[in-house]
Amino acid sequence: MPPTRTEGATVGPSTANAPSIGVPLRFILFGLACLAGAVGFLIARPTILSTYHYNQYVVAAAHLALLGWIASVVFGALYQLVPVALETKLYSERLAFAHLALQVVAVPGMVWSFWHWNLKHVGHWGSAFALGVGLLFFNVALTILRSRKWNPISVGIGSAISWLMLTVIAGLALAAAKCSYESIERLSGGNPLAITLRGLEAVSALVARFDQMSLMHSHAHLGVLGCFVLLIVTLSFKLLPMFLLSEVQNERRIWWVIGLLNAGLLGLVITMATRSAWKLLFTGIIMAALLVYAFELYAILRARKRSALDSPLRLFLWGLAALVPMAGLAAVLSWPGLPLTAFTGQLENLYGFLAVFGLISTALFGMLFKILPFLVWYGTYSVHLGRARVPALAEMYSSRLVQAGGATYLLALIVIIMGILLSSAGAVRWGGVALGAAVALHGVNFALILRHRARPQLQPMARAVKGT
Amino acid sequence: MLFDSRLDPNQGVGGLARYPLAMMNHQTVVVDVRADIKSGGSPCSRILDSAEQLGEGDTLHLIAPFEPTPLYDVLGREGFVHESRELGNGDWEVRFTRKPKPVAPSGVPSVDESRDGCGCAAATGELLEVDARGLEPPQPMVRILDALATLPEGASLRAFTDRQPMHLLDQLALRGFRGESQENPEGGYVTLIHRH
Repeated sequence: MPPTRTEGATVGPSTANAPSIGVPLRFILFGLACLAGAVGFLIARPTILSTYHYNQYVVAAAHLALLGWIASVVFGALYQLVPVALETKLYSERLAFAHLALQVVAVPGMVWSFWHWNLKHVGHWGSAFALGVGLLFFNVALTILRSRKWNPISVGIGSAISWLMLTVIAGLALAAAKCSYESIERLSGGNPLAITLRGLEAVSALVARFDQMSLMHSHAHLGVLGCFVLLIVTLSFKLLPMFLLSEVQNERRIWWVIGLLNAGLLGLVITMATRSAWKLLFTGIIMAALLVYAFELYAILRARKRSALDSPLRLFLWGLAALVPMAGLAAVLSWPGLPLTAFTGQLENLYGFLAVFGLISTALFGMLFKILPFLVWYGTYSVHLGRARVPALAEMYSSRLVQAGGATYLLALIVIIMGILLSSAGAVRWGGVALGAAVALHGVNFALILRHRARPQLQPMARAVKGT
Repeated sequence: MLFDSRLDPNQGVGGLARYPLAMMNHQTVVVDVRADIKSGGSPCSRILDSAEQLGEGDTLHLIAPFEPTPLYDVLGREGFVHESRELGNGDWEVRFTRKPKPVAPSGVPSVDESRDGCGCAAATGELLEVDARGLEPPQPMVRILDALATLPEGASLRAFTDRQPMHLLDQLALRGFRGESQENPEGGYVTLIHRH
């Protein structure tokens, strides 16, 4: 590999190689605001989890959680981590800022439109969201090409963003299928709008051939499993060794994990959309990928030089542990001929809830306590390094608050899971209140971290004090 | 007996304790850095400060969450011999005992002169070294920039890291340094840093 060289003074933290903290930080803050909104939805309307999930409020809340909270944090983290993981500069920060603007506008618009079940507007706002994802795809693809590193990490990131693109296209197609196109009759043949509408009508006709519920489930799996879970798995191969002072133990295993997850997902979404009994086979392939992942994770943990796990890493690993009950539920729900009853419907709710709040959100919180302090620390203190004593990352937040937030979060998950299984709106609401408390505790900690931006805590260097 | 068997490795975690061994008229200083490293802190200055205060025959009893290999060279040049032992849970205890101090050849800075804040620097003429491997980010950057703050005029610094130091390279430019980073055949990266 050619050496990386830097010369000449530049201004601010966004310089030759490292991304600026502005984009990731704003994505993360927007994501946290959306999470607060999603928890508010859950408290205000607990039936979104205590009854069957195919209604406008569930769809609105799910998109607020998935696109507003999870996707925003993931996008912010990607803009920060991709250059670090691939050891090159982000292709364009301007495109990343444009993506942020589209995200902030599109997500509330989509959620509002879903809530009022105006699918035409969902399509409009969704197109803005899709444009943002397109910018991300373009930016990351060119960054990967620049790095010329074809390793399991770059392949994992690339495939996750490709699945996200496909998810967005599938979502737009699903929205298009629920719209009517009477206005075509009033437009002349060569009118560009008429051509667009005819295209959408054709898409609508194609989508109508499939079972709509199955397509919706495919769409959800593309996004949740294909993008978010694959990204968490992929980035954990880079981040866990970094934070645990360990090494990847077997790169072939990582290739197997990424390969099996991609192959399994491709088969799963096709068999799901076509209601094929082969769905169980592909569920098995994904479970095999996760088993190999567990082996490698265990090997990385065993090889670590740091024996104690800090609170953020514990949160992250707790999140990954949710894969175990999820895999069990996936096997049950993939069983050929499983009838849709009130109870199996609730199991589907549980499966989705575990994915969003058990696995992904918990893992994100864990990683946020690594990423957010670093972003703030780097933006605030990097210019003072070697000139003054700066706080360590772990001194920027309270570990006790992380633990308290984690424990409250776990309690909330247990209560909500009971509420889902018993179809109890009351239990879901109280669980939602506990979830709100957990988010508030984490929020206080995030505020402690952000306070360093306003009030940096610098001390003189020890050697200056001692006169050595 | 070189060591005081009454020492409890869990005693004085994160702190420093002195145990005079009356029979031998030598002292043992215990430095337990596990809590510092767990909290992301940089304990190496404390280790070197403690080592500095020791006389001939005195012992620095270090307890760390990993084997502090770079310190063997650094303190070896200061006349310490070491004995290390794994404690079984991933932790290590190393006893550095000071032998008669060697005279540093002229032109070669002592550990004090090359101190980098982590104490893992090895001086080799005008080229100083910082071994920042095995540290959680951003500690490698902190240690290297601390070392640069006291880099003598005309000297260069060679830094060893596990990963390519993306953020460090930017900070070098801001401080009037030039850095060149490339993969180390033995693993990780080597970054050579000069002043402009």
